[in-house]
Amino acid sequence: MSERPTAQELTEAILEFLGGEVLPTLTDPRLRFRMLVAMNALGIVYRELAELPVEDDSELRELARMIRADDVPHDALPRVQASVEARLRIASPQFLERYR
Amino acid sequence: MKDAFEAGLSELLGRTVEISEPVLLAGGASKEAWAVDAGGERLLVRRAAVTVMHHHTLTLAQEYEVIEAAFEAGVKVPRPYGYIADLAGREAFAMERLEGDTIGRRIVQKEELATARERLPVQLAEELAKIHAIPAERLPFLPEARLERMVEELDEVDEPHPAIELGLWWLRENRPTERPAVVNHGDYRVGNVVVDPEGLVGVLDWEFAHLDDPVRDMAFSLVRAWRFGVPEKRLGGIGDVEPFVERYNELTGLDVRPEELDYWELAGNVAWAIGTLTQAQRHLSGRDRSVELAILGRLSAEVEYEICHLLERANA
Repeated sequence: MSERPTAQELTEAILEFLGGEVLPTLTDPRLRFRMLVAMNALGIVYRELAELPVEDDSELRELARMIRADDVPHDALPRVQASVEARLRIASPQFLERYR
Repeated sequence: MKDAFEAGLSELLGRTVEISEPVLLAGGASKEAWAVDAGGERLLVRRAAVTVMHHHTLTLAQEYEVIEAAFEAGVKVPRPYGYIADLAGREAFAMERLEGDTIGRRIVQKEELATARERLPVQLAEELAKIHAIPAERLPFLPEARLERMVEELDEVDEPHPAIELGLWWLRENRPTERPAVVNHGDYRVGNVVVDPEGLVGVLDWEFAHLDDPVRDMAFSLVRAWRFGVPEKRLGGIGDVEPFVERYNELTGLDVRPEELDYWELAGNVAWAIGTLTQAQRHLSGRDRSVELAILGRLSAEVEYEICHLLERANA
């Protein structure tokens, strides 16, 4: 799956936020230190994620291309639904749970 | 900053005014919102936050003109005070600062707003009827929206989203009879209106104004993402659709039908699904780095799930 932002891009956004907006407001030396350690840890996650192979989204691209060309497979809806559900289990499990 | 505001607002009001310390309010990634009192007037100053505007929205100067036109047409909007071409280096406009709630979750759930929620369906219909009566000639710069434009925006994102494609396909195949285009607010929903215990106080956020089918504007407030935790109430989490449509039809003489609302509700979801991706692109492209914008890219899945559900319902 080709979710954007990727896990790495999300990690990067959090790092920027912590370093750029939160860290400068911390005056308590102990908190400052712990924030730097936490950012260091997040940096490890960021670099580790960079090692992962890029996921293959060719199947999704092909399905999207077919639908755009008005060539809609008869099982398009259930296929699409299953893939959206899989993304939601990561991005927003509560939404899925509460949905109707 | 205070000096720049004092100079700008004095010129605008045509007299030298003393002002309070301007307070930057939360929210608004493309436009700042400053609360400031000037010479006894409670003002809200919208100022450009970034130099590069999203190219599918109106410019600040155009948005100001739309608010003026709405004000002239008797729509409940903040009284416009004027456009400022240069406020500390960026363009801005000043309008009345209305009192009330704008946060969707509060409007939908707050105890004190129970009476307001009863009145809102009819009030929302009344303001929308007035908006749709604004003469289009008054705002010649308004773009015309088409399904094709949504496709263009999706292509700019360049990610495979078959659920959105399926929604777009269904919209192409099932177009209702076209109604003459009217001035659309473009983002008419809970979250973009000011509400006090008596009900609707004002309509905000006009940067998506354009010419379109009137039912498109009506159905935008049905989109599930803006029911703020009360999904069973289809009209923005506050109430039923029927009184809203009835009042709108009564005022406009139109006969908006349920199946048209269904069509445009799906269109609204498709538009917002693409909107989340476009917003995430602002972060990913480096134009506006922000966690809030980034996370929207992932919340697209929620909107796409709703698209699937609506398609299932339409095919049943």
